[in-house]
Amino acid sequence: MDNEQKTAPQPENDRHNEDQTTSTPRDSQPEPASSAPEHRDQPADVQSQPSSDMVVVQFDNVYLNTDHGHEVFRDLTFCLRAGCTAYITGPAGSGKTSLIRLIIGDRMPAAGAVEVFGEVWRWRSRRQRMRIRRRIGGVGGLFDLMPSLTAAENVTLPLIIAGLPRRQRQEKLLRVLGEFSLLKLANVYPERLTRVERTMVQFARAAVNDQPLLLIDEPTAGLDRTTYDRLVEYMFKVSQSGRSMIIVSSEVPSRELPNTDYYEIVNGALL
Amino acid sequence: MTRLAHILAETLRNLRRHPLTALSSLLSLLLIFLLFDLFWVGAATARQFYDNLLRDLRMEVFVREDIPESGIPALRSNLLKIPGVAAADYVSKDQARRELMELVGTDLLVGYDTTNPLPRSFVLAISVDHLSVDRMQDVETAALKVQGVSQVYYSQSWLNKAESTNSMIQRVGTALGLLILAAALMASLNNIRLMTRARAVGFRQMFLLGAGRLFVAMPFILEGILISTTTAAGGWLLLVWAHQKVELTQMQLVMPETHLIIYYCLCAALLGLVSGYLGIRRQLR
Repeated sequence: MDNEQKTAPQPENDRHNEDQTTSTPRDSQPEPASSAPEHRDQPADVQSQPSSDMVVVQFDNVYLNTDHGHEVFRDLTFCLRAGCTAYITGPAGSGKTSLIRLIIGDRMPAAGAVEVFGEVWRWRSRRQRMRIRRRIGGVGGLFDLMPSLTAAENVTLPLIIAGLPRRQRQEKLLRVLGEFSLLKLANVYPERLTRVERTMVQFARAAVNDQPLLLIDEPTAGLDRTTYDRLVEYMFKVSQSGRSMIIVSSEVPSRELPNTDYYEIVNGALL
Repeated sequence: MTRLAHILAETLRNLRRHPLTALSSLLSLLLIFLLFDLFWVGAATARQFYDNLLRDLRMEVFVREDIPESGIPALRSNLLKIPGVAAADYVSKDQARRELMELVGTDLLVGYDTTNPLPRSFVLAISVDHLSVDRMQDVETAALKVQGVSQVYYSQSWLNKAESTNSMIQRVGTALGLLILAAALMASLNNIRLMTRARAVGFRQMFLLGAGRLFVAMPFILEGILISTTTAAGGWLLLVWAHQKVELTQMQLVMPETHLIIYYCLCAALLGLVSGYLGIRRQLR
């Protein structure tokens, strides 16, 4: 809970090896990452899981303002290691989605640096940003579905972008559609899906390529109990799988997730 | 290969998902190209007509009365030395009389049996590269300088009018061509813009998933190429079909050669590429 403790910028290599000292979570459950899934089919763009001592996301003294000049984050320092999950809560308008946007490189901080997989967004070329994004899966309003593609096509899109061959795509698609009970909705366009079904398709899309980092924005908002439990179960599995995950939500989960640090956004700071 | 297949599928999907936009684009471009094709055929036909008339243009060089008949071969030889003179046919007094009789249908020179007043002359055929106002004047000046020539006559005023008409057709053609090019570009560009506006949400998602600019833009660029090329080729097919059905007795329409039509369709494809890129450019920023 000491995110106010400022850390001087350090060389990249040192930062990756340092302990997670900044933004200490409220309830940390450090456990070794276990049973990471195999990634034999992964193309070069979507690399296999980073080693557990690697920093996946790093915020260094980040300042962010809205377009109207309102302060969203002030001197935010935060670090997520490979195989760990960060569960961030906060009221509406506290900056949860802005945090996701910073991580995905959709917004740039006013000051400070956001580093993902050891790469600072601001200094990366368009091509490098593209490569970083291919290693991130997303769920939530920011990661809406493509309206012109069916559910199955939406789920397959990350695999197509990554350049996976057709056969491997089909295998992964069938597996993930089955896992999220979406086989019957495979050929349905998003406009005909319910909100819950759209969320499920987003989860399937985020799961299909086993990207090393998963960003989930308000995962359980407006879901029925059964779907809610299923998705919490899925997040539970992911947090055990060795993949890193950042979940932002306005409500705390009904069940504690393993390898997970819990934070709260209060007045532009992460506590 | 995976991405290429997706890009091709996405191109066709664009057209399938927005059939009315695609259809209106196809029709408007078809009309624009058809207008251009019609002008092309009209201009080519007019040009051929003009060339045929020019090829028939002759220059008449009249021989002085005091030149004896024995001096005619030397005079002919001197005339043939003038640059641009392809042939020089001698017309004697008797031949001139016969031609006049054929022309008017009766012998107007009855009573002039001993003294034929018609002058002797040479009819000069001018080579194709000298069939212009300036060059014809050069030939006229050179002919007048030849010893034994009294007068030179050709349809100078007709040539002036024909040349100015031809140059006007060329200027109008260029202006119309540019206008049609701009119209085709705008029509195709607007179509792509409509398509991209309908799918603006999708671009953002694709970029967030790590798609490259080319991956996002290619379906729209291909769509521009497809629509432009199809309509350009379709316009010519319609025109060729109509040409086979319609027979003109007074004038033969000049259709461009096949290789020119292929170049034309390739230019249309280039136009589609440019309009496709311009249509999507804003979304790629």
